[in-house]
Order: sequence, then structure tokens, then C-alpha cells
Amino acid sequence: MAVSAVLLSLIPFGYLLVRVFGAGFESFVELVVDPRTLELLVSSLLLAIAVSLSAMVIGTFQAWIAVRSNLPGRKVFAVLAALPLAIPSYVAAYSWVAVIPGFSGFFAAWLLLTVGTAPLVYLSVSAALARFDSATEEVASSLGAGKFAVLRKVTWPNIKGATVSGGLLSALYVLSDFGAVSIVRYDTFTRAIYNAYRASFDRNLAATLALILVAVTILVLVVESKSRGNKPIGTVIANRLNRVDLFPWKIPLFALLAGIASVGLVIPMASLTRWSIIGLPETNWPEVFEALFSSIYLSVSGGMLTAMLAVAVALIVVRFKTRFGFLLERSVWLTHATPGIVVALSLVFFSNQVAPGIYQTLLLVLIAYVALFLPNALSAISTPLRQSPVSLDEVSASLGLTKLQTLRRVVLPIAGPGIFAATTLVILTVLKELPATLLLRPTGVETLATRLWTETGVAAFSTAAPYALLLVLLAGIPAWLLNRAIRKDLEPINDLERV
Amino acid sequence: MNKKNKWLAPLAVALSISALLGACASPAPTTSAESITIYSGRNEELISDLLTTFTEETSIEIQVRYGDSAELAAQILEEGQNIRADVYFGQDAGALGALAKEGVTKTLPTDITDLVATEYKSVDGQWVGVSGRGRVFVYDPAKVEKAPSSYKDLMDPSWKGRIGIAPTNASFQAFITAIRVLEGEQAAIDFLAAMKENGVLFEKNSIIMQAVQDGVVDAGLVNHYYWWELAAEIGEENMIPEIAWFDDGDIGNLVNVAGVAVLSDNPSAMVFAKWLLGDTAQKYFVERTREYSLTGIPEVAGLKPLKDIEAPAIDLSDLDSLAETLELIRKAGLL
Repeated sequence: MAVSAVLLSLIPFGYLLVRVFGAGFESFVELVVDPRTLELLVSSLLLAIAVSLSAMVIGTFQAWIAVRSNLPGRKVFAVLAALPLAIPSYVAAYSWVAVIPGFSGFFAAWLLLTVGTAPLVYLSVSAALARFDSATEEVASSLGAGKFAVLRKVTWPNIKGATVSGGLLSALYVLSDFGAVSIVRYDTFTRAIYNAYRASFDRNLAATLALILVAVTILVLVVESKSRGNKPIGTVIANRLNRVDLFPWKIPLFALLAGIASVGLVIPMASLTRWSIIGLPETNWPEVFEALFSSIYLSVSGGMLTAMLAVAVALIVVRFKTRFGFLLERSVWLTHATPGIVVALSLVFFSNQVAPGIYQTLLLVLIAYVALFLPNALSAISTPLRQSPVSLDEVSASLGLTKLQTLRRVVLPIAGPGIFAATTLVILTVLKELPATLLLRPTGVETLATRLWTETGVAAFSTAAPYALLLVLLAGIPAWLLNRAIRKDLEPINDLERV
Repeated sequence: MNKKNKWLAPLAVALSISALLGACASPAPTTSAESITIYSGRNEELISDLLTTFTEETSIEIQVRYGDSAELAAQILEEGQNIRADVYFGQDAGALGALAKEGVTKTLPTDITDLVATEYKSVDGQWVGVSGRGRVFVYDPAKVEKAPSSYKDLMDPSWKGRIGIAPTNASFQAFITAIRVLEGEQAAIDFLAAMKENGVLFEKNSIIMQAVQDGVVDAGLVNHYYWWELAAEIGEENMIPEIAWFDDGDIGNLVNVAGVAVLSDNPSAMVFAKWLLGDTAQKYFVERTREYSLTGIPEVAGLKPLKDIEAPAIDLSDLDSLAETLELIRKAGLL
């Protein structure tokens, strides 16, 4: 099962290679050196760099305020900072365009993706801050260092790794984002791939562009794995967390955080609510419910299937440490570098040429989800599995339990929270997923995301808003469950506060 | 947590297996005679009511996949031996012609093709036009003093950043094909290069209309009926954009058709093609979408009659070199 799961997830990347190089090496080279390709590459990278830098600044700032300051309302801000994760970037883009008709171009894309990906940095830095003991800072200030010197010389070096890795996640997100840049009309690689797909009779062009994007993304991933080398100092929750008194800065900082929250949350939600109310009398309820049902059905089955396969892979990788298992895990990450639009595209090619029976069936959509999200599920499941000591297995074997019984009664219960987190995570990402669902769904199947996509094309905000609003509310459920799980992890901090 | 997991894991397995089985069992779209699958390059907003009426009248069920005309045509070619659509409903003669050229279309019987005049159908019965539309220039009179007399005037640097265009839209692509066919490759390349400078890119015609209305751009190149679509939404009295036609015979006045081609042997597909040329559908095109009927139903008041439009002299069957046009548009950096 594990092997077939990995094979499934490798189909897109493998077939892409076959397709591109099957068409001849010359056409590949020709496109690589095309000035238009360079232009797209520059605009994509420019956006990725700008967004990740600003996301790093904002996310780190939010995390520091939430964990280490005495700003009033910091707990509310802590929740607000993570919430934009529940708003798909194309929904945010759409809601902004509904407020400002001419909202477009680099600045628009930068703003939307910055507030959309800052939570990635925020979560990573919060965790690092929570694991970093204040004692060192106290020593520094007792030796006469001022607040800012402590911040710069002691705190920063300890969270730098988390900030950078969050920033790289943000850059990866930008490189694969398709919906938001399309809506605000900023030319990037993903948009060019989609356009090459839909407005060219030569589909090898789309495939070749896709391969170039994958290469760029893999580069970013390599940088990420290098930067992950320097781990934060402590691995346990910190014993003491001092809160810095912000006194003269309280009001401006408060205003700044409120401003960030309004860009990321208040304006989109207000815009969606307003247009939903305007569109209420003309809302086509049967269509809305159909889309709602498809979204739930697809995300839940996609989430469960992916989590199940991830358990199988994780068991092989973690429990039976073999060279083969290691290879399995590594190869899954290859697909992680493949943006959704590329996975979708290669599955269209693959199914038509190799497995015509599954083209435009839900099965193919589910395969795409597995390919796209198996790595995410895997990382959520592996950690708790690693924490369950192998000696427990040995004990249970010595007590006469078979391997299967051990698995069911010892290993799975320990991995339970991880499996739960993985399932929820995939459900959330599938709900928000757009390009693969759009291209692969059976004719006639519409989800909230695809409905929203077609309706925004018509520019009738009032018809599209109910889908967007429902999507955000629905995505809020798994996002809330996940957030709660993460907060549980940080609970000792809250206890410290009470001391 | 432990207690919870006892039922959580088996439940998850059971649910995902049943979901998977359900997915595998989901039927491949349409082989039964009482149901057809349509790939529609025409906008859902404009034609979904028409399709509902068809099902009510004939009890033939319809599954539709909406997209751009070129996208769906390319998809049909990609599907090759595995074509899932019974009918292709394109909004441009060029895309229809491109499919016919690749040999994936079925020949329509004369009782269908005879309903339409020669200039609005394929010469060998591979596709038939079902409604007509004109390319027009829409503009905000407060910002554009005098509407241009030729599409070529828009190449002037004074138009920089002022004209909304939709290069992914089939009607824009057909317009470029017409330039290529009538005035040559270089004329099309030059025009596209000027549009890279002067044009503001949008996804669809309807968004261009909205953009002119909102003052985001000063003018735009769209199909005539998009003016009425916006007017129906916000009221004619609130319309800021005005419509202008270019000089007689200018390529900017291209009259194109939306039409259908049949792709499978499903008899219901032919029923649908013929029904689109019947009175119910033709009246719908005239009254609801404000297009031109191709079977002689008079156009709505206020719209320039089809026979009065001095369109460029081009045979719609000659627009079938869509692939080459798309290549030019892409090379110009507009896609």
C-alpha cells in the first residue's frame, strides 16, 4: 500500500518528464532561452522574494508581540495572526477586487500574498520563541544591554532559523499560487502555464513551462533544507518567558497590528459579507448546496485517503528503517515541489494517454490530492510515530501480540493525534485547492472553489460572494481544530503566565 | 484520546474506502442517448437558462463543462481517442474550424445546415453557426473625444494603458486571425506589439465592460452584446460606456458566430444542434443575449441590424488557423 501510495504521488512528475522530453530536447531548449520565459521567471521570483521578506518581518513581529510582550489584547492578536490561513488567496484577491475595482498588478499581488503567508512565519517563529528560555536575555540585560540590544543580540539569533524557514515556505507558496495572481492580473509562471494550457494547441508548451517551474521550486526547497540545519537552542518548552514592557510604543504597535488584521481579515470578510447580502435574493440555493456538498465530500474523502496512505508510508519509513523506506520518503518530497497546476496538467496528459478510463472521474481528482498533499500528511504523522519508542513494540511482542495487534493497540493510539492532525490538515488544503480540482473534476461537478472561480470571471460579485463566504466559513472548521491542537502544544506557556 | 482512537481509526478506514469505491463507481460521462455532454466556450451566465429550456422540452439531460473556446478545443484534441464531449459549443468560428481541420467533428445533415446562410457555416458541414455577434469599440465619452475610425488607430502611443482587451477570449483571437488572414502575419504582429504597450489585459469581455464603467480603463474591444449584459444588470440609464463601430469594412467590425460541432454518434447531439436553430433558441439569442439570429428573427430595437454592418470581407471558414494566432499572441507576451 505504501509503495503504491508513493507511486501514485510520483505519477505527475514522472509523466511530465516523459511528455517534455518525448517531444524532443530542442523545443525544450528553445523555450528555456525564450526572452518571455526569462521575463516570467524574473516577475515570479521578484514577487516571491518581496512577499517572503515582508511576510518574515510581519510574521516575526506578530509572534514576538504575541509571545513576548505585554501588549493588551495580544491573545486576540495571536488568534487573528493565524486566521488568514483559512482564507484561500484567490478568495482574498477576489474580495479586494470587489472593494477596489482596479486592484491589480505587483503591489496588489504582493499585499495579498504577504498577509496570506505571514501566518506561516508567525506559526514557525511563535513555536521557536516558546522554546527559547528568557534566562539568557535576563543575563544580557543584567550586564547592561538595553531592550533593543537584547532583542538584536540575544533574541534574534535564536529565532533567525525559524524566521528564515517560514519565509521560504512563504516563497514556495508564492511560486505555486495560481488563483490570486490571476485575479489581480500579475504575470507569473503559474499563470503563464495555465494560459499556455488553455490558449495554445501545443500543450507541450505548458508542460515545458511547468517543468521549468518545478526546477525553480526544487532549488528553493534545497535552500530550505540547508537553512533548517541550524536548529533553535532549546527542544523543550522554555522554563521562563519574560514579557517585555512596551510602554511608550503600546498605542502605535496596537494600531499597526490592528492594521495588519484589517488587511488580512476584516476587509475581505466585510467585503464578502456585504456582497453576499446584496446577492442574497438572487442566490441559487440548489447550486450553492450542491457545491457545498461536493466540497465537503471531496475534502473529507481526500483527507482520509491521504492520511491513511500517509500512515502506511510513515510506518514503513519510521518503524522499519530500511534504505528502501528512506528512498520512499525522499521521493514523496519531489512532488511537494510541484505546484498544483502542474500536477493537474500532468494528470490530464497521463490519464488521456495511459489510463483513459479514469480521465474526468473523481478517482483522478483523489489521485491528484494524494500526490499534492501526501508530504504534508506524512510530516504530521511521522513526528508522533517517531516519539513512540520501538521498545514498546518489543514489549508487546514479548507479551504474545502479533504484529498487527501491536500496530492496532500500541502504535496507532500513540500516533492518533498525528493522524488526526494530518487528516484535518489535508481536509483544509483540499477545501482551498483550486487548479487540480478545476482541471480534473468530472464534467458537471462543481465545488465551492470552482464555482467561485467561474463566477469571478463573470465579475458578478453578488453571485460569487456566497460561495466565497461559505468556503471561508467551512475552511474555518479544520483551521480552528488545527489551531487548537497547536495551542495545546503551547499550553505550558499559559501556565507560566499565571505564576 | 485513547478511547476516541478506538473508533476513530476503523471509521476513517471504512469511510475512505467507501469514498474511494464511490469515486471509482462514478459513471463515465454520457453514453446514453438521453443525455449529452457539452463542452461550452460560451459563458454559463449567458446560456445556462437556454440549456435548461432544452432539457425541459426534450427531456434530454445535459452535462456542461464551461471554459474558454480555445481551451476546450485544445482539450478535445488532447483527449484524442478519449473524447468526452458529444457537442462542442464554441463562441468563435475559428475554434470550430480548428476542430474540423483536425477531423474530430461529425458531418451535420443538411436539414440542420440548410437553416443557415452560407457565410455562417462550415463549407463542408462540419459546424454550423447558431448566433451572430459583432466586434465593437466601447468607450467612456468623457475620456475619449472621438471614437477611432479604424482598429489601427489604437496602435497610436496616445492610447497607452487605455484600452481593455481580453487575449484569452475567443472573439479577440478571431479578430487577430482575421488581421493575419486579410493583411498578413506582420500586420498582426505589429498590432499585438502595440497592444502589449497600449492594452490592459482582462480575463473576459464582461470584465472589460465593468472596467470602462468603473473608469479603470477608457475604452475596450468587446463583442456588442456585452454592453446589453451590463445594462441589464445596472440599468441602461446608468451606463457610462458607449458603443461605436469602426469605418465600413474595417477588420475591427468583424462579424463572427457562436456555433456548434457534433463530436460523437450520440443521436441526441444532433437533436441539440438542430434545436439551437429552432425558434425557441433563436428568440432566446435575440432577446436574452442580444445577439443576432441566423435564421432571420429581427434584432432587438436599438441594435444596429446585422445586414447594415459593413463587416470585413472574410470567409469565417478561413479563421480556422487558430493555433498560429495563439502562437503569435503568446509570443507578443499577451498570454
